[in-house]
Amino acid sequence: MNGRDERVDEPVGERGVSPAAGASPVAGASPVAGVSPAAVSSTGAGPGRVLVAVYAVFALAAGSRAAVQIARQFDEAPLAYSLSAFAAAVYLLLAVALARGNRTLALAACGIELAGVLIVGTFSLLDPEAFPKATVWSGFGSGYVFIPLVLPLLGLFWLSRRRRTA
Amino acid sequence: MIGPLATGLIVLALLIAVVSLLTTAMNKAMGNVLLIALGVLEVGLLVQAGFLIAALVGGEGPAETATLIGYMAGTVVIPPVAAFWGVGERSRWGPAVIAVAGFAIPGMVGRMLQLWQGMA
Repeated sequence: MNGRDERVDEPVGERGVSPAAGASPVAGASPVAGVSPAAVSSTGAGPGRVLVAVYAVFALAAGSRAAVQIARQFDEAPLAYSLSAFAAAVYLLLAVALARGNRTLALAACGIELAGVLIVGTFSLLDPEAFPKATVWSGFGSGYVFIPLVLPLLGLFWLSRRRRTA
Repeated sequence: MIGPLATGLIVLALLIAVVSLLTTAMNKAMGNVLLIALGVLEVGLLVQAGFLIAALVGGEGPAETATLIGYMAGTVVIPPVAAFWGVGERSRWGPAVIAVAGFAIPGMVGRMLQLWQGMA
């Protein structure tokens, strides 16, 4: 695919991209910058990769949904659709921040996300009229098997873990 | 939209997801089998997109055309991005990335089927 396939079956410990990935107790050594486009920071390596992938999928899902809604029927529920677009932007920001190792930005995005899902989730239950059309955050993310509620918690957990080991 | 093709794509994507999870569970990095399977999935998704575009141009299509196109574009983009992002990680977490894509695709193709069949 991109020239790295030949090392496919090597065991985990042999990987050469970043020493910070995996479950090594000495994780946290700064990654080698510029080795390849895929060489990423400590927050974007190992399990962080999966988080980045999930956030990217959610950014895509929420983003395209919001784009369609805003383009076709913005007047029906301007608040809900704007919130969807905002949520998508935060997911994208978080994915990029984790992938690039920008911890502060990632923390801020996680906080916004957690606040968003809690506030919007609560309001959508208390006052369904205010959110006639669902957003990713409505009902604490029940439309997406509560993944929107779990994601920011996972993100915060991951970031705190990285801080301890770093 | 072709039902059998969509069904096949859903099954293949789920299979990829399961194999990816197993690979992660066995603490192995990405293998060529997963990459090839992702490639086959991508080709199938492109074929499906081709048929969809042909049908849409021909005037067929559900009321939610924009949403359908959104899903279609998403399904075509996800496998290559997942492959790139997963191969870059030489640990058990590489295939875990592929698993995310493997679970996202069936959901999206399923929604596309619903949208398509929703047209009267």
